[in-house]
Amino acid sequence: MDQYYRLNKTECREFVGALTSRYQVVAPVKRGEKSFVFARISSPDEIASPEEYIPTIIPPKKYFFPQRETILEYDAVAQRQKAVMEYEKVVIFGVRTCDLAGIQCLNMVFSERPRDVNYLIRKNKLIIIGMECWDYCDEHALCALMDNHLPKGGYDLFFSDLGDYHLIHVNTEVGEEIVRSIGVFTEATGEDLKRLQEFREKKRSAFDTGIDLSHPELMDLFANCEDARVWEELGERCLSCGNCTTVCPTCYCFDVIDEINLDLRTGERFRIWDSCQNEDFAKVAGGESFREERSGRQRHRYLRKFKYPLAKYSRFFCTGCGRCSRACMAQIHIKETIKALIAERAGV
Amino acid sequence: MKKVKVAFFDFACCEGCQLQVANMGDLLVDLLDRIELVEFREVMSERGGDYEVAVVEGSITTHHDIERIKKIREKAKILIAYGACACTGGVNGMKNDFDLEDVKRYVYQDKADWFDTVPTMAVDQVVKVDYYVPGCPVYIPEFVRVLKCVLQGLPYKVPDYAVCVECKFNENECMYDKGITCLGPITRAGCNSWCTNNGNICYGCRGMVSNPNKNAQMEVLKRYGIPLEWIINKFNMYNRAKEIQPQEKE
Ligand code: SF4
Ligand code: SF4
Ligand code: SF4
Ligand code: SF4
Repeated sequence: MDQYYRLNKTECREFVGALTSRYQVVAPVKRGEKSFVFARISSPDEIASPEEYIPTIIPPKKYFFPQRETILEYDAVAQRQKAVMEYEKVVIFGVRTCDLAGIQCLNMVFSERPRDVNYLIRKNKLIIIGMECWDYCDEHALCALMDNHLPKGGYDLFFSDLGDYHLIHVNTEVGEEIVRSIGVFTEATGEDLKRLQEFREKKRSAFDTGIDLSHPELMDLFANCEDARVWEELGERCLSCGNCTTVCPTCYCFDVIDEINLDLRTGERFRIWDSCQNEDFAKVAGGESFREERSGRQRHRYLRKFKYPLAKYSRFFCTGCGRCSRACMAQIHIKETIKALIAERAGV
Repeated sequence: MKKVKVAFFDFACCEGCQLQVANMGDLLVDLLDRIELVEFREVMSERGGDYEVAVVEGSITTHHDIERIKKIREKAKILIAYGACACTGGVNGMKNDFDLEDVKRYVYQDKADWFDTVPTMAVDQVVKVDYYVPGCPVYIPEFVRVLKCVLQGLPYKVPDYAVCVECKFNENECMYDKGITCLGPITRAGCNSWCTNNGNICYGCRGMVSNPNKNAQMEVLKRYGIPLEWIINKFNMYNRAKEIQPQEKE
C-alpha cells in the first residue's frame, strides 16, 4: 500500500472499460447544461469530461445514505419485523476532494454509538476512486478556504492528472487489487512524485477564494454570531425550498415513516432525508415549532457547518463544495454570507 | 375483512382526477379487495345507495352545489377532498378575480339569467373535510396512501415542504439554472416532482406550503424579468379560492 502508479492517458479507456466489466461503476455524467449527477455507466464515453464537471447535483452520499431507504419490514398481525439492509458493491469513480471530505464527515456521524449499521455495511461495499482538481471548478466553490482542495485520504485510489498521464495513489488493499488485476499501470518513479509536488505547489496560488481567514479566525467568526443581522436578511430572502440542505454532502437528517401495504397487515419502515429548512422540521407534538423563523433556520444551517461540529467532531462540516450556493434560486451564497459576517463584525 | 363502501362525486371540475383512478390498472384490482365502489360516474353506470366514504372532486360554484355537498357530508362518515379543485378551488378559483355578473355573461352570453353562480370555493370552505388529496390531477400513489390511512383510521398529512425537495432527490436540472421560473419552492410536495421530472415547470397545482415566503419568491421571479401582474397570476392559478388548510396530526 501507499504506493504510486502511472496510467498513461491513452490507457484510460482501457482502464475504465476493465473496471466496468468487473464492477458496477458509477461516475459523474452530464445531466443538463450546467449540471452533473453520479450515475451508473457502462462505457467510458458516458463519463463527463473532467474539465467540465462541477460537483454533482447530489453528492456521492446518496450511495452511503440513500434519499429513501427501507430499514424494516413488518407484519402487524403476526407481530413480526425484520431489519432490512440493501447494499451493492459499487465503484464510485471520479470523486473530488471536497466530496471525499464530505464522506469522511458522514463516516464520523454514522459511526457514533449507536452505530448506524445500514450506513456502515454499505460503506464497506463501496470502492472510492478520487480525482484531483487543479483549479476552482466555479465561483461558488470554497474548498481551499476549508482546506479540502488537497486529498486527505478517504479513497481507495486517487488520480492526479499530470499532463499526459495520471499519477495514482493507492491507499487501500482494495485499491491495490484493482491496480494489480487491471494491468495497465506502471510503477511511478521519484520523478513522477516530484512532478506531483510541483503541480500541488501551483495549486496554492490557483485556489483563491477571496476570503482571507485562517481556520481559527473562521471558527471565531462563527463562535459569536448568533445575533448577527445577516440571519434576518437571509431569512427574508429564503424560500425554504430546502435545496441547500438536500444537496449538502454533510447534511444527514432524516425522518422515519411506516407505510403499510394494501393488505393492511404487512408494510415497511423507511427513512427519508429531512431538512432543517422545512416547516415541520422543528415542530413537536401540539404543533409548536422551535425554529419558526426562517432567519433561525438559516442560522442553524450555517452553525451546523461552522460551529457545532467543531465541538463534537473537531472539524468544519462545510467541505467547500459550493453546492448550497449553486442550488439556491434566492442566491443565498455561502461565500457572500461569510463576507457579510466579516463586514458586520468589522462594523461596516 | 368487510369492504368499505366508497362513492365518488363530482362538482365543478374536468373529472380528470377520477380518470386517474380509471387508469390505475392492477392497483385498482388490489384496491377493490378493500373497497366497494357504489358510485363512480366515470366507470360505472348504476347508482348505489349507501356509502361510508365520499370522495369529492371539484369545487363548489353554485347554490345547488352548496346544498348537494352538505347532503353528501351528512351521509358520509369520511369525506375526502379529491384533486386541486376540491382542495384549493383549483383553476376554477380564477373566476374570483372578476365580477361575478361579468363572468356569467361572458360564459353564458344571452342565457346568463338561466344560470346560478357563486364565488368558487374549495370543499372545506363549505363543509368539514377529513382528508385531502391535492393535485391537478391527483398523484395516484398519494391517493392510495390516503385510502390506506382512511382504512386504518389514521390521519394523513399532506407534506408541508417544497416540491424542490423531491425534485432534488430526483436530481433534475433546476429550471432556474435553465433561466426558466418554477413554482416548486413554494408548492407542497407529495407528487414526487411529477412535472419537473418530465421536463416541465411546477405550476403549483398542489397549493402552497402553509407558510410560503411569497415576497422572497416574488423577488426571485422579478429577477427573471417577470412583470408583477404575471407573478400574481402565477400564484393565483391554483390558489385564488384559498390555500389548503394543513391538517395537524392528532
Ligand atoms: S436553497 Fe436558498 S431558498 Fe432554498 S432553503 Fe436554502 S437558502 Fe433558502
Ligand atoms: S455548506 Fe454548502 S459548500 Fe459547504 S459542504 Fe454544504 S453544500 Fe457544500
Ligand atoms: S426545477 Fe423547480 S421544483 Fe425543481 S429544484 Fe428547481 S425550482 Fe425546485
Ligand atoms: S410538480 Fe407542481 S404542477 Fe406538477 S404535479 Fe407537482 S405540484 Fe403539481
